[in-house]
Amino acid sequence: MTTHLPAKHAETGGGRDLKKADEAALLDLLETLEHKHGFIPREISEELTRVIEVRLERLRRIQGKLDSTIRRDVKVHVARWREEEGNLIMILHAIQNQHGYVPREVAMELARELGVKLARIYEVITFYHYFRLQPPGAHSLTVCNGTACYLKGSADLLNESRSRLGVSEGQTTADRQFQLEVVRCIGCCGMAPAVVVDGQTHGRVKTSDIPGLIEAAKKQESKK
Amino acid sequence: MKPLSRTDLEALARSPASDPAEWIRVQLDTGGIAAGAEIVFNEINRIRLERQLPIALLRAGSVGYSFADPVVEVQARGMPRVHYGRVDAQVAGRIISEHCGTHQLVDEHVIATRRRSLTLTDPVTHILVRDTGPESGNKTEFFQFSLTEELKRRGLAGKVQVVRALDMGVYDKGIVVQLLPSAVTYANVLASDVARIVTKSVAGGKVLEELLWKETDKQVRVVLRNCGAIDPDSLEDYLGRAQGYQGFRRALLELTPEQVIGELKASGLRGRGGAGFPTWLKWQLTRAQPAAQRYVICNGDEGDPGAFMDRSVLESDPHSVLEGMMIAAYAMGSSQGYFYIRAEYPRAVERIERAIVQAREAGLLGENILGTGFSFNAKVRLGAGAFVCGEETALIASIEGKRGSPSPRPPYPSVRGLWGKPTAINNVETLASVPAILLRGGAWFAGLGTESSKGTKVFAVTGKVRNAQLVEVPMGTTLHDIVYDVCGGVLDGKDIKGVQTGGPSGGVIPSQHLDTPISYETLQKLGSIMGSGGMLVMDQHDSMVEVAKFYLRFCVDESCGKCAPCRIGGYQMLQILDRISRGRGSPADLVTIRRICSAMQKASLCGLGQTAPNPVLSTLRYFDEEYKAYLEGGPSYARKMSRASTAEPAREPAKPAVAP
Repeated sequence: MTTHLPAKHAETGGGRDLKKADEAALLDLLETLEHKHGFIPREISEELTRVIEVRLERLRRIQGKLDSTIRRDVKVHVARWREEEGNLIMILHAIQNQHGYVPREVAMELARELGVKLARIYEVITFYHYFRLQPPGAHSLTVCNGTACYLKGSADLLNESRSRLGVSEGQTTADRQFQLEVVRCIGCCGMAPAVVVDGQTHGRVKTSDIPGLIEAAKKQESKK
Repeated sequence: MKPLSRTDLEALARSPASDPAEWIRVQLDTGGIAAGAEIVFNEINRIRLERQLPIALLRAGSVGYSFADPVVEVQARGMPRVHYGRVDAQVAGRIISEHCGTHQLVDEHVIATRRRSLTLTDPVTHILVRDTGPESGNKTEFFQFSLTEELKRRGLAGKVQVVRALDMGVYDKGIVVQLLPSAVTYANVLASDVARIVTKSVAGGKVLEELLWKETDKQVRVVLRNCGAIDPDSLEDYLGRAQGYQGFRRALLELTPEQVIGELKASGLRGRGGAGFPTWLKWQLTRAQPAAQRYVICNGDEGDPGAFMDRSVLESDPHSVLEGMMIAAYAMGSSQGYFYIRAEYPRAVERIERAIVQAREAGLLGENILGTGFSFNAKVRLGAGAFVCGEETALIASIEGKRGSPSPRPPYPSVRGLWGKPTAINNVETLASVPAILLRGGAWFAGLGTESSKGTKVFAVTGKVRNAQLVEVPMGTTLHDIVYDVCGGVLDGKDIKGVQTGGPSGGVIPSQHLDTPISYETLQKLGSIMGSGGMLVMDQHDSMVEVAKFYLRFCVDESCGKCAPCRIGGYQMLQILDRISRGRGSPADLVTIRRICSAMQKASLCGLGQTAPNPVLSTLRYFDEEYKAYLEGGPSYARKMSRASTAEPAREPAKPAVAP
């Protein structure tokens, strides 16, 4: 039952590119036809209309399916916590665990399901650092900036990570491969400075280790 | 597990379960797992199954030796019980083949026991040795060699093994030698003493009084009593081996709620979250409120960076926190409890959730517990990364599913808390102390510590310290003892500059005040606070202006923005500090900073804003000259300082401040 929204988003994102290319090709075709005949033959325009309608129908179907899975997932989460008072934060945790962030569509559906204003939900999401509104990258690099790590040079680690990935904390690289995060403290102060790569904690990290950690994470992907 | 009855619990109190004869216990907490404890666990399991060894492989939480993660404890027949640190897959293999097989300890990985003995009770089988002086010119191997040679000469070569230890628990005392299994420890051993040790102690069984290290360990484990010794995922282990739920049994079956509160009053336990409000009084106030429902909340939102004692206790001994909460609930007549735990601690959440399920199955949670008519349920609520939610009223708002904004007190939560009902909020450490108090009596607990601050306190000592670890000491122990005697002093033998306690709400205590006995009051007098117990050691290379800026930035980021003094004051102060640290400040800035600090302290709504100026004020108070150096030195000085902090300190030659 777990749908993976980021993947779907990537598809639709790719679809948008495809549509753009199609549109351009279509316009080109129409232009050549007009240039050649001075008009567009009826058969061709009818065929084009048909193709476009089929596409539109498919798009609607996919959209509808997406909506219904969102609705179903939200229902499941809400049902789990329906009886409890003050359940909003726990439901948001469940949603973020599923999708990696809180998608706008899901938040809207949640507002409908709980019968509260969307602003009430966003008020909570935006207050807490833990909830994300953007889809996460395929890999994550998290630098701990707790006090112990800070004293042992986490600022240098962060600088190195920034320049290696070309993004600053809280951002994801343009190819959606890596996201750079800073965390307050992961409680591994005994092995400071610590860095978490894809959920794996590395202790006593040196600046020179950062490129290796990034490469290793990228390689893991290609193995999959 | 089938529901327990009264008689089952009483039987467990009389006859605790015993350990299997041979076992290996792997410490699987977040820190250990990050260092590779799971790999070690799987490797040991593989070898054990492959060779069909009759050794039990057990899971445990952390004993607190963070510097040596992953830690493994081994009990084999005919061998002293030993902790191994910095274990990897290869060392795990050697532990099985050498320690359990040929009865040889593994070099460079043994952590010497802190339970040092003064008498030789058993014949010596192993000798631990380590040079506890500076790293350079380490003589450990030389002493291992000369002790081995001396043993050979006496014909004891096959019977006694000499091992290089990872850590001796005694620091800066030259060569330290420990004779196992009695754990008689000799310090400041010289080459000329080697022959005497072998003839008199090893062969003759006599203790050499002049070498004997008589000081006992400074630590007293109350909160951490079961950490690293029991399986956190097993209720049987807690019941059978740690006198689990016996404190709760005593409270429920033998005492009235008033007597439980009386016991807490006798113990003198004060809130371990930082403010030090007497726990018994909090419970009494909550109990005194007429209400149909009261709530008890465990505050596990350990947002203070650099503190990890709550995580460690929740991960290593979740049942004792739950038991503490149940006793609290009984004392104040509550039937519903909440654990509020950071989402960043997934393992702690998982283990507490499992503990709740297990306790419910055993009939310790639910309706009509043990047939007494007392009902209680506990639930887990996750934090979501907001430091301010450690503040009582903000925490309550967060459990209610709202933004974690604090609200003005009074009314205090004990009058109107969660959903408007009387609520008592206790820290993880406070609750973990409660079962021990009920079990051993309030008077025993009050016997530890000082006049105003009773009992013990757990500190997470990190930063530039040799052994970053969890330390539990009686109140009244000095900072110097904690840093030097328990944790081995400053990293690389540098000079200490100060110790920061209390995280972003606390202050820096300079080296000249390290001899102060720790209590809520003395730390406050020094401009810091007890806080949750984070303790950060700083050496001479750490810039106090930068440290103050670090903490202030934390508070500014975490300010909820509800009240102006905190929201605006913090930000403005950060701007000024930033200017100073770039060498562009003016002397008037220090005056402004002090004014903003006092405004924030007086006018902020909650603890976050009131205490946010503490790091700045305490550094201003003790390290005034550092701020002045930035003001007088200008940008060039600031650049030099920032270079010095990133460059290797050893390469930076010490230059005279004023050129001749």
